[in-house]
Amino acid sequence: MTQKQRKQMGSLAFYIGNTIIGLIFVSPLIWMISASLKPEAEIFKGLNSISTFIPKAASLANYQEVFSRINMWKFIFNSLFYVMVIIALDLFVNSLCGYALAKFEFKGKNALLTLVISLMVFPAEAIMLPMYREMADLGWINTWASLIVPFVAKCFSIYMFRQFFLDIPNDLLEAAKIDGCGPVKTFFRVVVPISGTVYATILILDFVAHWNDFMWPLLVVTGEEKRTIQLAIQTFFGSKPINYGPIMASLTISAIPMLLMFVFLQKYYVEGIASTGIKG
Amino acid sequence: MQVSVNKKSERKAAYLFIIPAVVLLAAFLIYPALQTVRYAFTDYNIMRPDRIRFCGFNNFIELFQDKDFWIAVKNTFHFTVLVVPFQTVLALALALLISSRRKGVSIFRAAYFSPQVTSMVVVAILWTVLYNSNPNSGLLNALLVKLGMEPSGFLSDPKTAMNSIIFMSAWQGAGYQMMIFLAGLQGIPKDQYEAASIDGAGKIKSFLYVTLPGLKNVISYVIMITVIQAMKLFTQPYVMTKGGPQNATRTLVYYVYEQGFQKRNFGYACAVAAVFFVIVISLSVGMKKIIKA
Amino acid sequence: MKRKGIAAVFTVMLAGCLCTGCGQTKERVNEAGESVITVWSPTDEPAIEEWWVEKTETFNQAHKGRIHLRREAIVRADSYAYEDKINAAITSNDLPDILFVDGPTVSVYAANEIILPLDDLFSEEEWGDFLDSSKQQNTYDGKIYAVGATESSVALFYNADMLAEAGIRIPESKEEAWTWTEFYDAAKKLTKDGVVGTNIIMDKGEGLPYVLEQFWISNGTDLVSADGSQADGYINSPEGIEAAEFLNSLIQGGYANIDPIQKEFHNGRAATMLGGSWEVATLENDYPDLNWGITYFPVAENGILSSPTGDWVASVTKNTQDMEAAREVMRFLFSGENVTTYAKAISKPPTRISSYDVLTEYNEYPRSLIKEQLMETGHPRPRTPSYSVLSAEFSEAMLNIFTGVDAKEALDAAAAATDKDYNKYYAQE
Repeated sequence: MTQKQRKQMGSLAFYIGNTIIGLIFVSPLIWMISASLKPEAEIFKGLNSISTFIPKAASLANYQEVFSRINMWKFIFNSLFYVMVIIALDLFVNSLCGYALAKFEFKGKNALLTLVISLMVFPAEAIMLPMYREMADLGWINTWASLIVPFVAKCFSIYMFRQFFLDIPNDLLEAAKIDGCGPVKTFFRVVVPISGTVYATILILDFVAHWNDFMWPLLVVTGEEKRTIQLAIQTFFGSKPINYGPIMASLTISAIPMLLMFVFLQKYYVEGIASTGIKG
Repeated sequence: MQVSVNKKSERKAAYLFIIPAVVLLAAFLIYPALQTVRYAFTDYNIMRPDRIRFCGFNNFIELFQDKDFWIAVKNTFHFTVLVVPFQTVLALALALLISSRRKGVSIFRAAYFSPQVTSMVVVAILWTVLYNSNPNSGLLNALLVKLGMEPSGFLSDPKTAMNSIIFMSAWQGAGYQMMIFLAGLQGIPKDQYEAASIDGAGKIKSFLYVTLPGLKNVISYVIMITVIQAMKLFTQPYVMTKGGPQNATRTLVYYVYEQGFQKRNFGYACAVAAVFFVIVISLSVGMKKIIKA
Repeated sequence: MKRKGIAAVFTVMLAGCLCTGCGQTKERVNEAGESVITVWSPTDEPAIEEWWVEKTETFNQAHKGRIHLRREAIVRADSYAYEDKINAAITSNDLPDILFVDGPTVSVYAANEIILPLDDLFSEEEWGDFLDSSKQQNTYDGKIYAVGATESSVALFYNADMLAEAGIRIPESKEEAWTWTEFYDAAKKLTKDGVVGTNIIMDKGEGLPYVLEQFWISNGTDLVSADGSQADGYINSPEGIEAAEFLNSLIQGGYANIDPIQKEFHNGRAATMLGGSWEVATLENDYPDLNWGITYFPVAENGILSSPTGDWVASVTKNTQDMEAAREVMRFLFSGENVTTYAKAISKPPTRISSYDVLTEYNEYPRSLIKEQLMETGHPRPRTPSYSVLSAEFSEAMLNIFTGVDAKEALDAAAAATDKDYNKYYAQE
């Protein structure tokens, strides 16, 4: 076998393998989109065959119903707004903390690190009620503050930033220092620009986590003003019988921002970022 | 002189850098967590916030004698011990599979991440169909029967329910860790790979001697957070099995929710949460020590 | 400079968040001096949302200057989500004046003094217009705590073609309702060719006690004592165990799926089902090709005729500051006319007997059967402060029994857990 043939075989294996595995992973998403295009009675028919993936009488009726039945645009906006604000603050606050834990020496550093790891353990369900009481005491019920502020500082993000910043060669930082940069300047001018992938990763992971959040917004939000998209989708489950058509349509709509965000951040994953060696 | 000034400004910078996060954590995580611990020593029934009475260690004593609590502990460990290696290896494999410069890689990346983007509602509906115990309705059982094997109860059989959840969770969660591994793979300088191939290393050797060491910090992070997230398992039992059948999928956090919100035994639920906290902390701190060594 | 810019944005955002959070507790009196009455009810179909908008308008016009009615829609996924919200509001003493709750939970809230008695809301005569099943559901410890506009029922839906082919008779009157033996035989006969004889699992949550409690009642027992204080000796009585074992025989025999697929009956994969009254509209609208019918809920051998009832109802909470205004709103919302229009909008049977004169569709089959069951054999779920625990324990016990646990053992455990809850919180009163 020639080098070229070997390469072609390799490529073929690559594409076939990934396609098969990829289909396994993506099939529920496809089913959901397909279901959103079907009339109600068709959705649960023939769940045992491949035909369930293909919408027979495909139409946008479910989507029309979603938009006419509820104020979907508002809810999309609400979710986008509060999630983006959380993310912006999250990336800022947690990367600073993670960097300090990775690269600075200070009293209490180990204690803080242990604290951060320990706090990752506390499950939201256990502290939800005391957190709610706190929101009530602060007068933050039904405000953006209650949706955003408690979630800005995240132990998972701090810890992840720390792990990644640990890998940044100290020589790079020394070079900046020699050039006259203080710690703050070093961080923003040197560290951040080369950490695009880390920021992008935390961005997408936190975006997905908050976008799908249901419990907390349920507790702190009442009425339509600040209703989030997940709350709006859940309203479809309240009627007897449950209409799955609009549910599938609204779930598909809900998936779009996450997918767009994902696509938007592609460039941070493109292979070929120059090595982080020191250039003169 | 230069050195001490730098040290001082470094310390000042350090505190500046950590203040916002620390303040927020203290106010919105530590404070409610302390409240939870406080309630653990009371008989707080959610319906009666006016009748909270201190009851000392009663909740804890009850807890240690509670059969369901210990079953929840067992289930949670069962889940964690199996899912962490399975899901981590799967995620790493996926990341390696697509860390290539071939065209179309981004589509596969999106495909592997898509379970994270797909709503739990849809995931639950479809996996229920997949796992349905009736071979006429369940895809997996239809396959098993075709291959001449016995159908399995999957989620309806106490013996296989947890393993079914493990498999589904790994499928769902692998995309999350895959993204982190991808970020980690980015950070390994390409010249290391070039140097290795010049030295005559094949794919496997370069994986063992360049990739794995380069991913050390990332791997330890991923294992740590996966263990913690696994111990906190709640959503899948809540949506798919409600802790059953026969207690097979009742995890600790699900137990906390059930006791606290459904049965309104909030004081008791906080005690369970406090014990859960101690268990998982010990686990993570222990792991941290091992990883360091 | 970039750094300064980022810091500035950060501070502004944080400050902005904090400022918008100034004092948002429930407003009880507004600027116009009107008493504000807040109602929390679950989000629902467009027809109901419109009903609320219209009725709120009407009321506020008529009571301008004195009372302002405001309804807030609370997201109700399954009822657990809605209850979480109520739990949170209880914690911060911030309940609305009028709160809609799921029927069986009235006793829970009443026993914990979250809601107030409403006996004098209507006159003796006016109360007489409401269905017994509805009043029973809303009564705890001898007092009425809530009012509802709609009821529900569960009937035995059947696939007419399949039954005809198998030669199975269909009851013509409630005295001819299938006994358990007939139900079993029919299910067995109808299970073939990938079709299962019946569907008894409406859902794996509240659906289980809702539908299956009737088997206990029909067999001469119940899930708890009449005053709601004890489960042991009732849910796990010999009659109860018999009921559980009967239901289990359907599952073990393969005549009913333990994992029913959505819309099993509608898609012709189950020959019969114990379905809610709302399924009538669904079948009429979405499944015109199916030849279906409904008949009476099955009855135990020589047992009591009984069928499920229950729906969401409204109560007045302890946080209300103007009881007079709240009562005025309640009398308005549940007047004859409004009960009728609400029931019509949501296509559910009304709770007022007078409403049936207007909604004549209930005089014809299939709705006439629903009405008959409601008026003559309807039994609400148990009134006990430990209902949440009882319901969860019952569901779990049944699912355990269906997967092989001994019936007595599972029901004993459920009884113990329920009684433990009652004795811990309610016994000393």
